[in-house]
Amino acid sequence: MKLGLLLALVASPLGAQSVRGRLEGRVPTLAIPVVDSLVQVAAREDLPTEPLVQKALEGGAKRVPPQQIAAAGQVMLGQLRDARELLVRAGDAAPTTAAEVTTVYSALKRGLAPRVVARIVAALPQEPRGSALHAVADLAAHRFDADSAASLILDATRQGLRGERLLDVSTAVLHEAQRGRSRNEALALVRQRLPNVPPPPKPGRASIAGARRPEAAAPPP
Amino acid sequence: MNAIDPRIHQALDGEISRDSLPPELRGTVDRLETVAALLASAPAAAGLEARVMAALRRPAPPGAGARRLVRWLTTPHPVTFRIRPAWSLALAAAVALLTLVPTQEAGPVLGEHEGIAQFVGRFPDARSVHVVGSFNDWRPGTIPLEDPDHDGVWRATVVLPTGAYEYMFVVDGERWVPDHMVDRLVEDDFGRENSIVIVRTARR
Repeated sequence: MKLGLLLALVASPLGAQSVRGRLEGRVPTLAIPVVDSLVQVAAREDLPTEPLVQKALEGGAKRVPPQQIAAAGQVMLGQLRDARELLVRAGDAAPTTAAEVTTVYSALKRGLAPRVVARIVAALPQEPRGSALHAVADLAAHRFDADSAASLILDATRQGLRGERLLDVSTAVLHEAQRGRSRNEALALVRQRLPNVPPPPKPGRASIAGARRPEAAAPPP
Repeated sequence: MNAIDPRIHQALDGEISRDSLPPELRGTVDRLETVAALLASAPAAAGLEARVMAALRRPAPPGAGARRLVRWLTTPHPVTFRIRPAWSLALAAAVALLTLVPTQEAGPVLGEHEGIAQFVGRFPDARSVHVVGSFNDWRPGTIPLEDPDHDGVWRATVVLPTGAYEYMFVVDGERWVPDHMVDRLVEDDFGRENSIVIVRTARR
């Protein structure tokens, strides 16, 4: 118990120091204390902190005024809380993982209704929902009915498709729509074909040969 | 089968005189002797060797060569391959080198949780284009796009860990532009829109 308390006391300032180190020189000086305190609050509440850091770095790179960076951070903290609340309401046991909170936050940010996100979360309790939510959001972005899109993606999971393969389902629907089918027809046609949806082409040798690693490849937030 | 009177055999073998036979048997013996004389005067039949040689000299019927080839190809034959152990080791080492050692053209070796992201933008009047996003901590200037043929289409191919990232293009070091060639866009909370790229594993 004493060791845990000692580690917490040591880790907190160290964590804050590393965040400040990442922000200094890249984020306006005035915004750093605000972002730093938001990160501390998020850490205390077991919320993901990396999205807050990324948003501050993004604002700094885009030369956004410090007040706007601070405001964006505060809004994001609230959205992260909402995402976690949705996860718990939909059945995830607390504490929720930072990755799942970030996934739900991103889905809500892409415009999916909380009701639709909660439906996906509840239907896929034992697995990452990122690809399923992106697949539904991709279809919703093309004005497909989000509930119908969610039904199709959940049907695909029942047919054994998982993870990134769910993105192939939404891609197949969009291809059918591009061929002139109505949205309902495209959804119905792909549902009939499940689980047979074509995977994307593998990157060619020339693509891989010409690829390079960025200097500061960050893990996905 | 009719039984032959034994006196005919005896007459033919010379054991009894032909005159001692009744007239009907004497006629039969005469006929048999005539047939035997005919058979004895016939030319001798060709021997086995001569018949085989004649068959070999006969021209093959059309298509026989193709049939023989097909039969040879489809029939199992024992094959003996003899090689010195030193040569077989050298051959195995060469095959291992060719398959395991990446060549310069093969590019980076991708990990299990890595994929390829291709960024393409059309900026005809640009002097420089970079892609900046959550994959490089929003650090401008680290991932340039290239336009080697000066057609205004700028490209970059990047190895990234799998996942979803927000990004924008930075044109000439100051103009932030979303990627209009992708459908995934999200508000950036600063009054603009970021594009979203989902990097999928390259090992499928």
